[in-house]
Amino acid sequence: MKQSLSRRTVLTKLGLAAVAAAAAPAVNAAKTTVQKVLVKTEAPKDYDPTQHKWQMAFDVNRCIGCGHCVEACKQENNVPIGPYYRTWIERYIVTKPEPRSAETRGEVRVDSPEGGIHGFNDVPVPEADILQSFFVPKLCNLCEHSPCVQSCPVGATFDTPDGAVLVDPKYCIGCGFCIQACPYGCRFMNPITHTAEKCTLCYHRISRGLKPACVEVCPTQARIFGDLKNPVPDDPLQEFFKKNRVQTLKPHLGTDPRVQYANIDKEVR
Amino acid sequence: MNTRFKLPPQIVRLVLLTVGIVGSYLIARAFLTPSSFGQYGWYRGDALMEAASHPRTFAGKPACTECHEEQAKQLAKFNHQSLSCEVCHGPGQAHVENFDVKLPVLTHGHCLRCHEKNPSRPHWHKQISSREHFPGDKCIECHKPHAPSEVP
Repeated sequence: MKQSLSRRTVLTKLGLAAVAAAAAPAVNAAKTTVQKVLVKTEAPKDYDPTQHKWQMAFDVNRCIGCGHCVEACKQENNVPIGPYYRTWIERYIVTKPEPRSAETRGEVRVDSPEGGIHGFNDVPVPEADILQSFFVPKLCNLCEHSPCVQSCPVGATFDTPDGAVLVDPKYCIGCGFCIQACPYGCRFMNPITHTAEKCTLCYHRISRGLKPACVEVCPTQARIFGDLKNPVPDDPLQEFFKKNRVQTLKPHLGTDPRVQYANIDKEVR
Repeated sequence: MNTRFKLPPQIVRLVLLTVGIVGSYLIARAFLTPSSFGQYGWYRGDALMEAASHPRTFAGKPACTECHEEQAKQLAKFNHQSLSCEVCHGPGQAHVENFDVKLPVLTHGHCLRCHEKNPSRPHWHKQISSREHFPGDKCIECHKPHAPSEVP
């Protein structure tokens, strides 16, 4: 018959297990330190996310629908070719009402051919029928209560302390719940990595003191970007909030978006 | 008579099993939890700096101005002053890192991308209809992109 375990062996084994459990975090910490010293990283070294709060705002009256922002975003962030956009432009065309219909406005047409990346050269409605028309740039609304973060089953998407909403591609399992949860349609599944992807506010740029690519190339300053915790002299963001009355998209959903729009129409969702 | 209380063996087994399950969970958790978990919140803190290590394509206006000071000064005097260089010239980080990499030559499509007449564009923005406004001619025959208000 097999010899039963002696008290000494059991105690020794239990002790070893306890030591291993205690040592694991220490080993992990040591590994991280070694990696930080040895592995060359492109990340900025002196960036502290807790010392910033980034904010994006739009002046819709200034958007000319050139599509530079959409193109720049694709180039900067390696967004796959095809119908995948981290930022895009929508065109709203409000047509004139039928004569004597007692309506204030006619049909509202919204389109975004290829996200507006090549501009909006074709006008789908005869110019005489247009009551008013305007462009609305869209991106992640940076919700204070993000439905996408709440719906992620593995905690791979999160609100950063500096105001961005990021996806951790190493932990994303590609289930797509967040894409369904976003009421603004700001997320998509990357067909190459099969992980959810969205606007990062160009995290690799803002952490180096640069503007996001879309803000950098916007020729008319329709996109206003800044740091609420570190206002600079003549801060464009502070000026924007001083001069404009603003609103958010879909406020009834309680997502509390931080992206603000000025001069927007009630048709914009 | 021995009156000492003794745990029934089935309870002892149950306790041992519970300790084993909880213990193995704790050990697995210690090994599987990323070391930076909880640094900023309920997620892997290192993911932030991994997102920040993404390579750049656009250099930003200050990087251009460092060398092309003259052009920047001229641009600042006219209506195109709010434009970043890379709006027209395209992404320039590759050029900043290696001057042998040249940026693409511009065509007049670049002008029309913003200035072609479109009913959706705001009225304050200067627009022309390329079919009516000197068709066939190049924009730069009359207009200088770095000094747009200097019109013949």
